[in-house]
Amino acid sequence: MRKPVYSMLAAALVAGASRAAMAESGGMPQLNFHDFAPQVVWLVISFVVLYLVMSKLAIPTISDTLERRQGRIQSDLDAAEKASEETRALVAAYEKRLADAREQARRLHREQAEADSAAASARLTELGNALNARIDEAEKRIAGQRAQVVEGLEDMAHDIAAEVYSKVSGQPADGTALRAKVAAAHSGKNGGGR
Amino acid sequence: MHSPMEQFEIKRLLDFHIGSLDASYTNSALWMTIAVILAFLLFVVGTQKKALIPGRTQAMAELGYEFVAGMLRDNVGEAGKKYFPFVLTLFVFILFCNVLGLVPYSFTPTSHIIVTFAMAAVVFVGVTVIGFARHGAHFLTFFVPSGVPLWLLVILVPIEIISYFVRPFSLSIRLFANMLAGHTMLKVFGGFVVMMGVLGGWAPLAFIVILTGLELLIAFLQAYVFAILTCLYLNDAIHLHH
Repeated sequence: MRKPVYSMLAAALVAGASRAAMAESGGMPQLNFHDFAPQVVWLVISFVVLYLVMSKLAIPTISDTLERRQGRIQSDLDAAEKASEETRALVAAYEKRLADAREQARRLHREQAEADSAAASARLTELGNALNARIDEAEKRIAGQRAQVVEGLEDMAHDIAAEVYSKVSGQPADGTALRAKVAAAHSGKNGGGR
Repeated sequence: MHSPMEQFEIKRLLDFHIGSLDASYTNSALWMTIAVILAFLLFVVGTQKKALIPGRTQAMAELGYEFVAGMLRDNVGEAGKKYFPFVLTLFVFILFCNVLGLVPYSFTPTSHIIVTFAMAAVVFVGVTVIGFARHGAHFLTFFVPSGVPLWLLVILVPIEIISYFVRPFSLSIRLFANMLAGHTMLKVFGGFVVMMGVLGGWAPLAFIVILTGLELLIAFLQAYVFAILTCLYLNDAIHLHH
């Protein structure tokens, strides 16, 4: 009966001590020297493997890609520069042609305007001459008609005077004496009236 | 309740030894392998199309490539081109290990000081070898600041030497401590969520969401810091600038 009790006590003590020891060493697994070797061995292995992967596979690939991209960007930039240069030349040529065309248009316009105005003034003088001729003719005609009208008026006046005289006196009028009297009255009125 | 440190336990998945060397395949090795496979998929499989206008995967790979290339160009110059594969590998390896460590139930190889120290030691030894190979004994003038009076050199030279030899430690502890602290915090607050139950657990849960975002940033930032410090050390070794 006593023996098992003692052994149980001993077992409990041992267990407690080992737990305490585990807590001691378990406090810092990092300081457990037995674990150093396997960690370093596998650190070396994995680091060397990663180094080989990086230096032999990854870095050549990536640097190649980056160089190609840089080259592409540079060539694109060069092409863009060239294109812009060409555009500038084209614009200059275009502007020169535009200026030439404008100059030519101005010259043509001026020439045409001069020719037009010369022709117009020639036609104008021609027209003026024709009009003047017609005006002269018309004036002559008017003057002739006027003389006729005046002559007709004198005859009419004599007739009216003769008629009036015969009605008033009851005897036929002496045409020649009456005509002289009308002419005298007409010329006297004419001299004072106008 | 699990200890927040339990996530950092190394578990042997496949036991095997080379002579007396324990080369067991552990959970750490598994996640390193996954990191390498994912890096392979991104940087090799993802770029095979060599598209002039890249797709998403190719653009991502090119972004990483140009990021590290620019870092090396800015900090080391033309002479640094030789070391580009190494720095790119270093950056990608650390970045993938860090980020994959944020996946639930995963393991973060970079949360172990021995891993980060091994990488820092390679950088340190490599940079020192490059320095001596390029400048011979003249490389030692790197420890002697120019334009300083003699009596001050007595103090400054030991400081310079110490600061030089501290480099691998600061480099490795910075990365390891960041990973350790971040993951421990996540685990501790995860414990709070369970402890505070359905009613009170939301507050630490919300905090975990924010913290995860921060950890993602730190995962990237620490990979960047490791890589850029490697560049700066390389620059020191190549140009002896001081």
